[in-house]
Order: sequence, then C-alpha cells, then structure tokens
Amino acid sequence: MATPDHAENDLQPFFVLHKALVQKSERKSSGSRKIRRRIELSPISAKNAEKMEIGTGEERDDHHYEHLRMEAFNFVWSKIESTIKDVLRNINLNVFNEIHRWVCESFDAIKSCGTTLTKATHSYPIVTDATFRQLFTGLVFTKNMEFVDDLMTFEELGLHLKSHGCHVANLSSIDFSANNGIGGCLRSLLRQFLMVTLDAADISILASWYSDQGNYNKPVVVIIDDMERCCGSVLSDFILMLSEWAVKVPVILIMGVATTLDAPRNILPSNVLQHLHVSKFLLGSPSERMDAIVEAVLVRLCSGFCVGYKVAAFMRNYFLRQDGTLTSFIRALKIACVEHFSSEPLSFMLKALFVEENSQGFWSEEHALFPEEMLKYAFDLPSCRRNNTEERTGENLAHDLSELKRLQKCWSTTVLCLYEAGKYNKIQLLDLFCEAVVPCLGNSTASNHHLGSGISSSSDHSIHHQYLISEKCSFICQAIRKVRDLPVVLLYQLLKSWEKLTEDVIEIHDKVKELQSLLKFENGKSLKQDLTNIPKRHTSRSHLNMDKDSKVLNEKAARLMETMVRDYMQPVECIPFHEIVCFKNVDKLQSALMGDPRRRIQLDLLEFQKILLCSCCSNSSKAILPSMHDTSILYTLAQEHGDLINLHDWYQSFKSTVFQPSTKGKHKLKQSPAKKRKDTNESQNQSEASIQVRFCRAVTELQITGLLRMPSKRRPDYVQRVAFGL
Amino acid sequence: MKGRENPAEDALILLRSRICNPNFVFTPFSDSPDSNYSKLKFIISSSVTEACNNSILLLGPRGSGKTAVLELVIRDLLAEHADMISVIRLNGLLHSDDNCAVKEIARQLCVEHQLLFSKMASFDDNSQFMIAMLRECGLAHKTIIFVLDEFDFFTQGKQRLLYSLLDAMQSVTSQAVVIGVSCRLDADQLLEKRVRSRFSHRKVLFLPPSKEDLQRLLEHIFSLPVDTSLPNDYAVEFNMKLHHILADERFKEIINTLLNSDSTVKHLLRFLFYAVCHMDLESGFLSLDNFRTAMSSIQRQPKMEYLQDCSILELYILVCMKRLEVKEQNSYNFNSVMKEYKGIHDAYQTSDYYARNVCLRAFEHLVQRELICFMDNRGNNQSIEFRAVKLLISSHELYQGLKSYRSCPVILRKLVDQ
Amino acid sequence: MGKEESPQITRRTTRSSSSTPILKNGEETTKTSEPHPLTINDLVFGGEPIKLDELLSSFPGRRIQILELMRLLGPLNSPMLPLFLYGGTSTGKTSIILQIFRHLNRPFVYSSCLTCYSPRILFESIMNQLLLHRKNADNGYASAKRCERPSDFVVSLREALTNVLNTLKENSGKSSSRKPAGQANGRMIYLIFDNLELVREWDKSSSILPFLFELYDILNMPEVGLIFISKVSPDAYYSDRGYVEPIPILFPDYTEDSLRQIFMRNQANPKLYSSFLDVVLRTFSRITRRVDELSTAFSPLFKKYCEPLSDPGLVPNEDMKRKLFSHLQPHLAPALNEIFKVQSQPSPEVEAKQEKVKRKSNANKLGGREAFDEIDFHMSTSAKYLIISAFLASRNPATLDASLFDSTGGSDNRKRKRKSSEKSMEQKETAEQELLMKGPGTFPLERLLAIFQCLTSVVESSLGEDQQINEGLGAGNGDSGLMSDVLLQLSSLCNANFISKGGSCPLEGSTRYRATISEDLALKVARSLKFPLSKYLYRG
Repeated sequence: MATPDHAENDLQPFFVLHKALVQKSERKSSGSRKIRRRIELSPISAKNAEKMEIGTGEERDDHHYEHLRMEAFNFVWSKIESTIKDVLRNINLNVFNEIHRWVCESFDAIKSCGTTLTKATHSYPIVTDATFRQLFTGLVFTKNMEFVDDLMTFEELGLHLKSHGCHVANLSSIDFSANNGIGGCLRSLLRQFLMVTLDAADISILASWYSDQGNYNKPVVVIIDDMERCCGSVLSDFILMLSEWAVKVPVILIMGVATTLDAPRNILPSNVLQHLHVSKFLLGSPSERMDAIVEAVLVRLCSGFCVGYKVAAFMRNYFLRQDGTLTSFIRALKIACVEHFSSEPLSFMLKALFVEENSQGFWSEEHALFPEEMLKYAFDLPSCRRNNTEERTGENLAHDLSELKRLQKCWSTTVLCLYEAGKYNKIQLLDLFCEAVVPCLGNSTASNHHLGSGISSSSDHSIHHQYLISEKCSFICQAIRKVRDLPVVLLYQLLKSWEKLTEDVIEIHDKVKELQSLLKFENGKSLKQDLTNIPKRHTSRSHLNMDKDSKVLNEKAARLMETMVRDYMQPVECIPFHEIVCFKNVDKLQSALMGDPRRRIQLDLLEFQKILLCSCCSNSSKAILPSMHDTSILYTLAQEHGDLINLHDWYQSFKSTVFQPSTKGKHKLKQSPAKKRKDTNESQNQSEASIQVRFCRAVTELQITGLLRMPSKRRPDYVQRVAFGL
Repeated sequence: MKGRENPAEDALILLRSRICNPNFVFTPFSDSPDSNYSKLKFIISSSVTEACNNSILLLGPRGSGKTAVLELVIRDLLAEHADMISVIRLNGLLHSDDNCAVKEIARQLCVEHQLLFSKMASFDDNSQFMIAMLRECGLAHKTIIFVLDEFDFFTQGKQRLLYSLLDAMQSVTSQAVVIGVSCRLDADQLLEKRVRSRFSHRKVLFLPPSKEDLQRLLEHIFSLPVDTSLPNDYAVEFNMKLHHILADERFKEIINTLLNSDSTVKHLLRFLFYAVCHMDLESGFLSLDNFRTAMSSIQRQPKMEYLQDCSILELYILVCMKRLEVKEQNSYNFNSVMKEYKGIHDAYQTSDYYARNVCLRAFEHLVQRELICFMDNRGNNQSIEFRAVKLLISSHELYQGLKSYRSCPVILRKLVDQ
Repeated sequence: MGKEESPQITRRTTRSSSSTPILKNGEETTKTSEPHPLTINDLVFGGEPIKLDELLSSFPGRRIQILELMRLLGPLNSPMLPLFLYGGTSTGKTSIILQIFRHLNRPFVYSSCLTCYSPRILFESIMNQLLLHRKNADNGYASAKRCERPSDFVVSLREALTNVLNTLKENSGKSSSRKPAGQANGRMIYLIFDNLELVREWDKSSSILPFLFELYDILNMPEVGLIFISKVSPDAYYSDRGYVEPIPILFPDYTEDSLRQIFMRNQANPKLYSSFLDVVLRTFSRITRRVDELSTAFSPLFKKYCEPLSDPGLVPNEDMKRKLFSHLQPHLAPALNEIFKVQSQPSPEVEAKQEKVKRKSNANKLGGREAFDEIDFHMSTSAKYLIISAFLASRNPATLDASLFDSTGGSDNRKRKRKSSEKSMEQKETAEQELLMKGPGTFPLERLLAIFQCLTSVVESSLGEDQQINEGLGAGNGDSGLMSDVLLQLSSLCNANFISKGGSCPLEGSTRYRATISEDLALKVARSLKFPLSKYLYRG
C-alpha cells in the first residue's frame, strides 16, 4: 500500500536541477561536489549537529544508541504497519464475505439453467432465454477518486474468493488498452487461468479448460480493478464475448468503480449494458478507514509513538485538501516516524517503554549503565524544565515515564469515549483527535501553568486564542452537547460502550458503573410505567417526569464527560518527557512530504547563494553578476519579461551581463550596448561562440527543469515561460 | 399417396442439384458455334496443339458464368488430350499476394506431377521451381493453363507474379496459357507497362443471355429426364405442366422484371432455386405461384423492412432527423436531435416523451440497424452524442415506411408531410 | 536434360525430407484427441431431436421463417445455395437455425465472428471442428491446424471437408437401413457463420468478407451448404466489385402479440402474468421491441406487481387487477425512463454506513467530507477546485478569462461578467449551438493552471479565516498548499475520466485537455465547496 515511488516522482526535478548545476560548476570550481553533498544532506546533518552540542560527548557510544534507535524504529514501525493492515482488512472483510455470498448465489442461478459437460465445449451458444444470456456483474464502489488505496483491495478480494474455492483472475486497465485490443485481455485471462500463453487467444479455450474435471463446478470470477481507465470498446467486446458463452462458462464479473454509477453508462454502449445483470457493493469510504486507522494507531497508541498537534493538524489537512488517500497519510506517518527516530536521541526508549509492562523493572537494571549526558539531556528537555525540584536520577525518569504512559492511557480512553458520544452526531474521530491533542484545551485553568513551558512559541497562544473563538463549533463541545440530549435507549448503549472502554481506568470506570445502575433503575421504572396502562393524563405526566429524570441522567452523563475531559484528557504535549514519544516538527514533515518542486527550483535559481555558498557572489545584493551561474542569470533576467520572452533581447542582455567585469557595480545595464560593442571588438572571435554555447545550455537547462517552453512554429523567436508563480 | 411423395422429392433434389451445378447449367451454351464456349475452346486448344503461348482475359459482370464456361472448356479439353494439359488455378481473393501465389502454383505443380511439396520453400525457391517446371513442360510439349480468377486483384501491388509468368512465357521453350477472369471490364488497363507489353490483348466478353437462350436454359434446367428412376408418367406430366408455365405470359412478365434488375445468370439461378424450393411436394409440380413468391422474396427492400421493425420512439428520432435535414442544418448530432425532439413534444404534447438515456438507446438501435450512421468513421474519444450523424434513408422511404407502419402515431405522419 | 533433372531430384529430396513433419503432426493430432475421441456424430446438435411442431410452437411468431428455412434447406442430400439470415438483435436467428438443425439432425459447423474475433481464429475454429480436434491441456490448448491466410485455409478446408464427407457417405451408406440415434443424417455438411456484420470491422484490406461470400464458388463442392447470419441487411455488404448475394431470409422484430406469446411461455401463473402484460406490454413496446431489453425491464416490475399478493398462485379478478395496477402505477414511469438497473445487495452494515455517509450534511464543515451528501465518492479539495476550473476552462471562451478571473477574484466579477455577456448577447445562441454540436472545448494546461490559481486565491481570500479555525492549523499556506502537486491531481482526474487528454507529456503544453464531466456533477462539486460556479459560468 505504501508507494514510495510517488515521493520519488515529486523529487525528480531536484535531481535534474542539481545535476545541471554540478556539471557546470565542475567547470567553474572543483570543490563544488563537496558543497552539493552538503546541500543534500543538510537537514539531517544540521539536526544531528545541534543534537551533538546538546548532548556533549555523546560521540563515544553514539553508534550504540544509533543502533538502539534503529531497531526501536523497526520495531515501532512494523507494529504500526501490521496494525494498519489488520484494521483495513477488518473493514473490508464483511464486504468481501457479502461479495462471496453473492458470487455463490449467482453461480447457482447460472447452474439452474443447467448445461452438460459435453455441451460446454461446443462452439454454438446454448439456446436459452435472454435473461440467462446476462452476465452477473458486481460493481464495487471504492468511494475514492484516487485509486491508490485500492490497489491492494482487489488483490485481497481475489485471494479471499480463491480461498473459498473460486477460479479468480485479476485484470486491470492495462489489459484493456485500445492498441492491444480484445486479444490482449483474453491473453492475460488465459495466462491466469490456464498458465499458458498463446498467440491466438480464444475464449473457446477457456471453455475447454473449464470443462476439465478439475475445474468444473466452480464459479469463474473475473475481477477488473479500475473500470474507468479501461478502453470502452475493448471492454464492451469482452463483455459481449463473455455473454455469448454465458451459460457454458459461468463467468462472474466484478468491476471496481472509483467514481459513480455513471461511469459504466458513459463507457459502455446500451447494447452492452443490456448484458450486465448488475448488483453493487460499497467499500468503506476513505474517511471511515481513516477513522479506524487513527483510532488504532494514534488514539489507542498501538506502538506508543504519537504526534504533536501541529503535525496532526497538518496531516489532517493534507488528507482533506491535498490528496485524500490513506496511502499518503500512512506515508506521512512513516516519514514522521523516521524523522522522530533519526532526530530524537532518546527515542530508543520507546521500544523498551512499550515492550515491558512494568517499565520500572526495565529501568532498575538499565539506569545503572545509563550515561550521565543522556540523563542530563533528558532532564533538560523543555517539557520537564519546569519541575526541577527532584534530582535527576534514572528512577525519577522512569517514574515520570510510567506516569506519562498512564496519562496517555487516560487521554486515549477519554478521546474514545468522546468519539462514542460523537458518533451519534456524525463527528469524525480525525477531527476529535486533532482537537484533543491541542495542548491546554478543555481545562484552561488546569493547563495554564503548562502554557509557558509545555510549548513556548507565539503561534501557540494564537492557537489557544483561535480555539477560544471557535469554542462554539468545537467538536468536543458538540460531542458533550450530544450527550446532553440523547434519548434514553441511545444513552444506555453509550454507557455500555463507555463501560467497555474505561475498564482499565478504574476511577472513571466505577463512575460509569453507577451511572449505568441509575439508568437501569430509570429504565425499569419507565418500562413499568409503559406496561401499566393507566388513564391518559397519568401516562402523559408520567412520561413527562420520566423524560425529565432521563434529562437528569443525561445531565449527569454530560457532566461526567466534562470532568473526564477536564481531568483525564491531558494532551501529550503537556506531559513531561513527551518529546521522547511525540513527534512535533511539522516543517520537516511538510518539506519531506510535499516538497513543492517547481517552487523550490525557482527559489533555488533566484537565491542560489544560499546553496552554493561561493565567495564570488555571496553579497546579498540583487545585482546580476557575471560570476553567477548562467542558468540563474538567465532566469533572473527572465523575471523582467512577460510570459513571452524575445530570444534576441534575452540573449543580448545575457551577453551584456556576462561581459560586464565584476569590478564595476550594478549600473552597467544602462550603457551595456556601448560597453558590449567595445568588448566584442577586442574579444570578438573567442567570446561570441562560447557565449552562445553557454546561453543555449542555460536555456536547455531551464527547459529541462520545466520552466520554459521552446519556441513554437508560429513564433520561432519567442520562448514561453511555463513557470506559474512562486 | 406415398408413391407420389417420393418422385416429387427426388425431382426436387434433382432440380436443386442441377441449379447448384454450374457445369450442368451452362452446357446448352456449348454447342452454338459463336458462343463464348466455342471461342474459348478454339483459342486454348489451338495453343495447346500448336504448342504456343497465349493469354486471354474473360471479362463480364459477376455471376455471368465466366468461370463456369471456362471450367466446361477445360473439362472437355482434358477429356480430349489429357496428358498434354495441366491446369493451375489461382484466385485473386486468396493469392493476391505474390508470395503465396507462387507458393500455391508450386504446390499445385507438385500435386500435378506427384512431387512432394515443402511448406518451408522460400519465394525464390518456388519461383525458380515454377520457371523450371515451365521449361520442363515446354520441352515435354505439355501445356500449363494458368487460371487467374479475380484477375484484377493480381494487378494490385507490384504485379511481380504476372510479370514473371508472362516473362517466362516469352522464352520459346515454355508453353503456357494464362487466362485472366475478372468482373472489371477495364482489367487490362490496370496492368503495368512491362506486363501489358507481354500480354496479348485477347478478350472474351460475357454478355447476358438472350431471350431464346434463356428459354432454352429454363427448359434445360427444369425438364425432367423421362428415362430414369423417376416414374415415367410423373416426369411427362411434370414437363407438360412446366411447358404451360414457361409459355405463360405472366411468367415471362416475372422473368422480365427480374432480369431488369439484374440480368446475370447467377441471379436468375438464385431466383429459380428459390422457386424450386417452394415446389409443393403434395402435388409435386411447379406452379406459377412458386415463381411469384420467389420473385417477392428475392426482390427485397431492407431499409423498408427495418423501418417496419422500429419502435415508435425510434420513429420519432428518425422524424426529428428528417426535420433537421429539411431545415438545411448542415450537420447535426444526437444533442440537436434531442432538442428537436423536445421541441416537437412542447409543440404537440405527444404522449411518448422519454428520458434522454432511453432516447440514446433508441438512437444506438438505429445506428445498429444502419438506418442512420455517423458522418466520420470511428470518431475519436468524443462520446456518441457529440458525433455528427446522417440519415441513410430518403425522405420518401421514410414517408412510405410511416404510411405502411401499423400503429404509427398520426402526429408523425403530419410532421413528415409538412 | 539430365543435368536439368538433377536440381529437381535434389529438390524432391528436400521436399520429401521437409514434408515429413507435416505428416507427423497430422497423426499426433489424431493421437491427442484419443482419450474421449470425437466422432463424426459430434457435428450434429445432439440431444434428442425435436419434432417440427414443437419447434414451431417453441418460437411464437416465427412460423413463416422456420418453414421457409426448412424449404430452403430442402430434403436430405439436396444441395443448397448460400443462405443469408438477417434481422435485428434477439429476433431468434441463431436459436432457430440451431433448433432446426437439431430437428433435422444433420451435421453442421457453427462459428461466431464475435467469439472468433480475427480471421485466423475463425479459420482455426472451423478446422478444429471439422478435424474433430479438441483443445486440452496435453496438447497445450493448441488448435489442430495453423492457418492464417485464406489460401492455406481453403486448401486445408477442402481436404478436411472431403474426409468428413467420405465418412458421412459410408455412414449413410451402411446405415441406410436403420439409423442409430445421434447418427448424423445425410451426406451434406453446413457451415454457419454468425455475427457476420462484425467482419466488416476486421481488416482494412477487407478481403475476408468477399472471400466468405465467394467461398461457395471457390470450394465448388455441392455437398457443402453455407449459412450466414447477420444483424444488418444485405445491402450493408455491397462493395464496389459487387458480390453474388446469397438468398436473403428476413427475421423481423416481433409484433406485439407475438411478444405477448413469447412472454407467456412457461409462466407459473399465466392468468396473472397476462394481466401484468396488459398493463406494461403496450407502453414498453413503444420504446423498444427487443425481447431481451423488455424481459430485463419486466422481471423486476413483475416482482413489484406481485408484492401485494398473498400467494402468487391465485387467479386475479377484476378489482384485484385494479389494485395491483394501482400498486404498480408509480413504478412504471421510472422503469420506462431507465435503461440500466442496479439492485444493490442490502446488507445491514453496509446500508448503515451508506446512511451515515448520506447524512453527513448536518455536520457543517468545509472540506472533503461534506461533499458526501451529493457526491458519493471522495475527492480532495484541491482536486475539486481543479475539476471545477477544468469545467470552466472547457465551457467558457478563453477570451473571457481575463474579465472573469482578475486578481481581485470573485468579489466584483459579477458585474464584469454581466457586461461581457451583454456585449456578446448575439453570439450567445451561436455559442450554445456550438456547445451542443461539438461539446466541451479543449484547453491547454497553462490555462487550466491559471484559472485554478485564480479560483484558489479567491477562495483563500474570501473564506480564509474561518477555514483557518475549522481546519485547525497547517492550512496557513493555503494557496500554495492547494497548489502543490497539481499535476498528480490532474493525472488522477484524467484516470477517473473526468478530464480527457490528448497527447503525451503535460509539461510541454502541446497537449490539450477537455473536461468531460456533466454540468450537474460540476454543480454538485461546486455546491460541496460552497463555490459560486454559476457566477463564473459563461451563458449564465
């Protein structure tokens, strides 16, 4: 499901640009390769460096801890990944079962108008009613325009059906391309069923294969992953052909549809639609899956790794606005994980912390060989600077860590309870989560003293402020309000679910218990009242007071909820030592996830000094110097033009820039023509050609990086800027 | 009754096999001196006996019996001097490609001379083999007759086959006759210069049979033999009835109308076959009605038939398109048709106004029936409703169709009339 | 002359040597089909032959055609000119010819040009049937003889036919006295070519079609009968060179009462069904007269019709009919106007999910999820903006972009738009006509991106703040946030068939795009974004 190739695609332009730079800068200065390397590695190395000077003398057993962190990362990520897989499988499972049931039913339906084994291989169709000529087709709606998430889904569906004894073939839109034609998809079909490749693929072969004893009396399922992408004519030919062999080879189609029901209508002509006997299935929508993943990974903390509120908000926005694929969400999660373990020196504790049940025991034998610097560093973490009262020993550290663990437990329990309540209001866990991780929520009073220390930046105050503004529409409040006006039955269910959730947080648990007992009592009473049919007024009154005291119950429950939010839902970033388990650096994640290449290229071109820290043009003046790299010169010059650039003018100004000696200042451009003429007079023969060469090379580089379009037939002397804004 | 049943059936089988056997059909043409048969036979036999090369073109409309007569000639020649002739038959539909043509020649030569033919042999092997065989046969005073059916197909491309054949024939030793059979009267104009120069422009033209030829032909086909398994009295009676029919003016009328549309022998034979198939086995005799029914079912108007098959909605669409054409809308597509359809509905409040997709289906039905078709063949990724279409039936046909349509709504007729 | 003999001798030897493999594979095909060998009798339809009258009764409204065919096929061992059966879809052409052969119990070879989608496969399937060859695992599912060209096909076909005919002759010769069941009748063999109209699309050289029509004359074997089945009428096959057209037999579409008979066949409760047909048949047959389409339309309707009934066995009286009709009434019109029905398998949880999805709207939030109440699939916000801008780009004339999207965005472009529309009032209907004719226009990538940027900037400026609040953090870089990897979004839109694209690389602007989404879908998307699409749409 994880598709790193996407990331590579994003990064491709960088490489192009850098390569170009290197090639030419080798001509200029030999040291540039080193420089470039420093460029590429810069984020990590810088980070490490800073860490180094924080934890002085860590170099000794640096490798040891590197190693520890590495394996901790492997452990954590494998845990997360497996959890995600399970979650997704469970989501799909009931749909799969349903599909299998449908397959069996339709297979029986086909069998009912039965055919003998000998008939099956005959070339002529079996004479039946038109309804039997129809093809049982299941449209599986993957409710996501992006197809990435469902690459695996259909494979798993195929495996599922295979395991239940069907013949399954997975076709995809590549098999239904126009230039391969009908032969192409038949060929791949036969390859999957018969394990032979024939040059003249023919569906009668499938029939004779099916009539073999081993294969007989099993449904033949053909799964087409992405119907939208198939070439319509080929697909319709395929369907017609299948429908001609309908009864003899009981083929059952399953087609994945990404968008809407109109898709098959638009692709297939009516006489083909005529042959489809369609029934539809719905996969879980992306937001549901997302909630499931968030619950398992980030709220239930399957691995102990968690993210800060900025990161959470960023990931949420990325999901909603950039591309709504789980794949990218998971990729973001992974990147965050990697970044965390690579940057946070103490992060190796995560594994230990969550492998062992009693971290005390772990620490008791660990803290002895726990280096001093580490401890120092740990206690210097901003989150625990505030309570410097106790001395810095491993015990305290261990104690605080277990405390951290406990608090997180409470937090997740509360969030889940909120979610349970919110479900009745169609509130999504993703939103709740993003709100719940924002520090100093819920209880402004309790978290006031965290404010300064827990997270110290101006933006956070603004967050807090914003939160207060948006109080009215905050999801938590919505959830609680929902609890207030919940009918009795639902409230009963809610409490039940809470009881389940809060089992291991005792104090909440028994609160819930007593609420439940109250409610049971109420229910009993109300039921009794319902059963005893007494005159109208009484019933009405009784109903009145009944729902009144049910209101009381709701009030109680809501208050319980509030107290939970206030006391137990302590965001991770307000807890000491949370840096160890929590990843907060959003910028790094963002740059790693969507490094907006075009913008980057243009930026690099414009302020290239930042990258190749050359001595010649390190001055920050915007002047165009001949010592600059040709490409950046050209691009800077291009800024002056509109989206159409006259090549000749461009070349002239380029030439003038290159020719002006660096000694004279910037006001060269004015009298450049005269200067140029003088220059050309002396260095005519050698310069002109080389200038043109450099010009051409630079222009091509600009084209390679996709900022230019080469001159068209219509206007041979103009190039067009393809670059749209920074 | 049973006794009468059998001879009728036998007679039917006999007649059918006669009609289906061109050799039999064309024998009456053989005896007259100026018939194509005698011309052809004279040419070929002379070139066989005088051991010279020759080349002929048999031209005439499809189904005028070129191949049949040729086969007759060849059969008789083979009967006369068997060992001096070997016939190679090629068909332009199959062997227009030089490579497989030469291959086929080599194959048939091998069959003729009891050699083993290798499928692997290359083009050059085969052509060398052909030349060698030509020389051999020439030396052995054996004439090879090449029958090139669908001659015009051989003139496509580089005409290497024709060239090599005719060129080989220039050499004295070889002894071959090339007979081109084509339904294109300008077949010899299609030849390249180098080929035409080597080609003798002898042509035999096949014209539709004359009246008396026809009469003879009919009698020849229909009259039952008196001295065979068939019971004598039955055959005699049959022939007598047949004579009455043939003499009948109405029958002549039918034949004339038939031949007016298409006067080739094949066409006539198809008609006769149909008539014979309708022969009443009870009575066991042909009747005039058989020919009438045959007439009616041979002469068809498929467009009108398919017009009768249309549903009301499809008729509506056709009428809309007709109106659009009347408005001189140079090009229109499904959308504009739908606009027109809606306009009609708004104007007259018709009972059948259906949703767009249903109309689209009806539209596709019409396309499948080929009552309408798209202007451009294979419109690119553009979806159907944007492709320009045109009617394939004239407004008169449409008008007639609507008139003869059983339950055609009045409004449609009105719309077409105005 | 001796020296001239020598090359031939060598040639003969080469030929003989090279010809041995042919014989070998010849016999190995016979060997491989050994396990359950096909006999000549597998060329007949098989099963118990049916009587003529039940054949007639099983095909209502086809009496004329069946009798006609029987006549033309003629008595035993009577040669036949090629036949040409034509008629619309599902008029019983194939079924009837097959049933007739079942009745006559004569050997035939059927091959459909739909299944055999290329000349080679067609030829090989015919040869396989004639050579009694059966593809299976141990011959690697290979066909008996490999023939791609018509020429090879004719050669091998002729010899195969002669073999088959000889066996037929001796069969009928020896068993003329009494005939075992399943024994092939007569010495004729018939070749049936179905779906002939598809051959026209096969090859550009179009040599196959005239070849098939000439096949009878080429073979020149009176014992072989050819039968062509086609959906289109004979005049669709005319070529410039003319062809000897076979004997035509028309299968017209069913009339209403024959349709009724067809639907009345093997019904459990004929009375009930006939009353049902009284209701639906006339109205539906005004739309289409095809059996298959009608039957697919009827089967769900009949279920609806039967719903009020306690037991489906009872015979409805008048008022019962009236009740049933009134029950059916509301379902008729939608059924009339629908050609593609989908019944979903209702399983509780899925339904529940769907419901939940449906009622997303009350959670008033921006972003992707609210869209679910109209669009039932997930699109990211940027994808939505992209598709809207694509829609606009292919709807609006490019000249209006400047006036519609200026830097100030949506605020004042209402009046600008009106001015422009007034100015071009007379062009409006021509433009409409044009839209009607050639559909959505195409546009280069740059234009799309420009419009997209305008839209996003407008949106960010207008509802920036509350979005900030609702979305929480991270949306600070809103514009560039939406702008990032637009090209990926574009490609995925192309994959979803929302934007059709011609050409190759999107970076060089040579390729042009076209938005193929319907207007209402675009409106839905816009509504889900609270985006005033109509304001930007030229021609209001």
